[in-house]
Amino acid sequence: MSFDWNIVTDLRTMWQYAFMRNAFEAGTVIAIVAGIIGYFVVLRRAAFATHALGHTGFSGAAAAVLFGVNPVYGLLLFTTATGGGIALLGPKADDSDVAIGTVLAFALGMGLLFLSLYTGYATEAYSILFGEILGISASGVVFTYEASVVVLLVIAFIARPLLFASLDEDVAEAKGLPMMALSMAFILVLAVTISIAVQIIGVLLIFALMVTPGATAVRLTKTPLAAVLVSVTVAVFATWAGLFVSWYEPYPVSFFIVSIVFAIYVIVRSVDVLQKSRLLRVPHPSEKEGIGTLQIASSLGVASAVMLSVGVVLLLPSILATGPVIAFTSALLDVGFALAVTGAVVGIAAYLLYFWGFRKVTSVERDLSSPTVLVLLGILGFALAFGGEALLYGGQVSAYGSPAGPAAALAALGGIALVWVGLTLGFLGALGLALGNWRAGQRYQEETIRVGGFLSFLPVLSIAGYVLCCIGYVRTGRKLARGWQAVPVGSRTG
Amino acid sequence: MEPLASSEIIRAEHLEVGFGDKVVWQDANLDVRRGEFVAVIGPNGAGKTTLFRMLLGLHRPRAGTIKVFGSTPRRGNRKIGYVPQRHTVDNDTHVACDVLVRLGYSGTRWGPGIFSRAEREAAAEALQAVGAAEMANKPIGSLSGGEMQRVFLAEALVGNPEMLLLDEPLSNLDLRRSRDLVQLINGLVRSRHVTTLLVAHDINPLIPCLDKVIYIANGKVATGTPGKVLTSESLTALYGVQVEVLRDSRNNIVIVGGEDVGGEDTHGDGET
Repeated sequence: MSFDWNIVTDLRTMWQYAFMRNAFEAGTVIAIVAGIIGYFVVLRRAAFATHALGHTGFSGAAAAVLFGVNPVYGLLLFTTATGGGIALLGPKADDSDVAIGTVLAFALGMGLLFLSLYTGYATEAYSILFGEILGISASGVVFTYEASVVVLLVIAFIARPLLFASLDEDVAEAKGLPMMALSMAFILVLAVTISIAVQIIGVLLIFALMVTPGATAVRLTKTPLAAVLVSVTVAVFATWAGLFVSWYEPYPVSFFIVSIVFAIYVIVRSVDVLQKSRLLRVPHPSEKEGIGTLQIASSLGVASAVMLSVGVVLLLPSILATGPVIAFTSALLDVGFALAVTGAVVGIAAYLLYFWGFRKVTSVERDLSSPTVLVLLGILGFALAFGGEALLYGGQVSAYGSPAGPAAALAALGGIALVWVGLTLGFLGALGLALGNWRAGQRYQEETIRVGGFLSFLPVLSIAGYVLCCIGYVRTGRKLARGWQAVPVGSRTG
Repeated sequence: MEPLASSEIIRAEHLEVGFGDKVVWQDANLDVRRGEFVAVIGPNGAGKTTLFRMLLGLHRPRAGTIKVFGSTPRRGNRKIGYVPQRHTVDNDTHVACDVLVRLGYSGTRWGPGIFSRAEREAAAEALQAVGAAEMANKPIGSLSGGEMQRVFLAEALVGNPEMLLLDEPLSNLDLRRSRDLVQLINGLVRSRHVTTLLVAHDINPLIPCLDKVIYIANGKVATGTPGKVLTSESLTALYGVQVEVLRDSRNNIVIVGGEDVGGEDTHGDGET
């Protein structure tokens, strides 16, 4: 399969195969559940327990393989049993590393025994350890759905008490919450989530879906709901991107998922450093100027979203046509292509203005600094992706004119790499834009900006999102002109 | 100082507390009335926190009777707001303060749903009451010790409890900040008539505001007004060894002889 510059066509091609559809379906569901549970894992500092449950799951899966049962049932049995045991040790047990470590070593030993008893192929062990999402069956997908629904229902029921118990154990206990039962419920839910996540990412890489997205989200947000949303977004993005790349590269999906999640985490951690750099220092800060810039940025956002949407609609006939290569036969398609490209360019301009506007407001509102850095990274990412697309497009066109040489192959490889690095950064930029607008909306008490920021992150609703932001910033400008004072969200003076 | 209303909040008779075979303290008689500001002082390990855990219904007495609001203490009493000793909140906790305060209000509610307007308003009111309104959106981990104690106080205060149990809110605060916090708490006690028990190591910042002192040391509990309890005569009589209560020119108290009574209990360290 050759990579095409048009991502929608690529997805269509992939989804013609049942195993890819299964992988995308199961992967998405698992990423959502893992992203939610992962937030609580980070909050409760239960990362090690997560790791250990994965390992006991390994011996469970190995035992199931030995007896010819679907490994996921073995996983489920062993992880829930171990989880129950850990919870019975006491409410604080999910972070008691010595006891957990002891159980972990024993569980791995058992797994080894089961594997040596099993006379079949080593690939089973390999796929339990590192995940085999492309091998997931239709019944596996159904099971994943069922388990996910159970997990989500339980977590919806216990979410608030669990949050309380995780953040403030002593007070929660005094207020009469059943700490042991909560701990038990959480670890069982965790066990089920791990059991289904192992199918994608494997026992050894379980951290990538269960911990890293949550850890990333916690650094970007301040409320549980926002953290869960970001955590889920990161997990889903990494899973999709990983599946996507693995279609073209002969390397394992798990590797791509792990490296994308890792890259996002590293970038977000380094945002802290960038925040303190000169990047965000404005010599003559003016809040009103910043709002003015943000008004223009939002209107450019509207223009870009409209052009992109119309462009994609016009290109739709060619996207829906089979085959990866698009021939520009009609003028309509030319217009569509031109609109999409112009929309993308205008979009980058909008991001630049957003960066500029946020940067000015950051001088009076420290809370905007991390979104500002993310937006800048996003701009960098879009530029890289554009470069990558250009390389790919150039390579492809020349491939049709003359026999493809090593130069074209190199260009294609470099193009793919650029596109993916760029899109990962672009994803963070879009996240930063949503976060920035959300916080600006908080500061200026404009729900329109908050909702708009959130919507701008979503593909179809982004037009409405930018329109709302536009309205919000115009209203804010008027308020400020009237001498209204903004409420600082969190100027960290302490 | 006269209590504002004379209704009884805590009454304990011949109370005995212990873990397993070990008796922590015994034969304690307590009487706390509505709107009183009470300091609980004594050396480490004397059983001050245990007293709180008993009032919260988390620990049962070995002997004697205790009534809180006229009935046996039970867990989850909404009339009690509690700030435990030294919360372990590290600076990695990126959760906004008002989330914590809202949880203090409705954290025990089961089922789905995000925070309602009533909850947000209750949280804002509580933060306002402790002078921490501007910290609402700051991550808990980014706060200083004094700011953190204010937020914890708001978390305890949010359901409009009738009694506050504050376990060492003044530890790790410098002199000025601890006096500020005492003033704030005293203001709450007086304006809301909320009965408050406060565990402290150093009684001196509290003396001007206190109605009562509960002094726990060496397995015994003395209770009464500061002027009555914190005298050489009463403490000597209680412990059966010579205890001196000294006062400096600013009326700061130093208790000497506390080493014999129960460990490193010389109050007034750091006072000048």
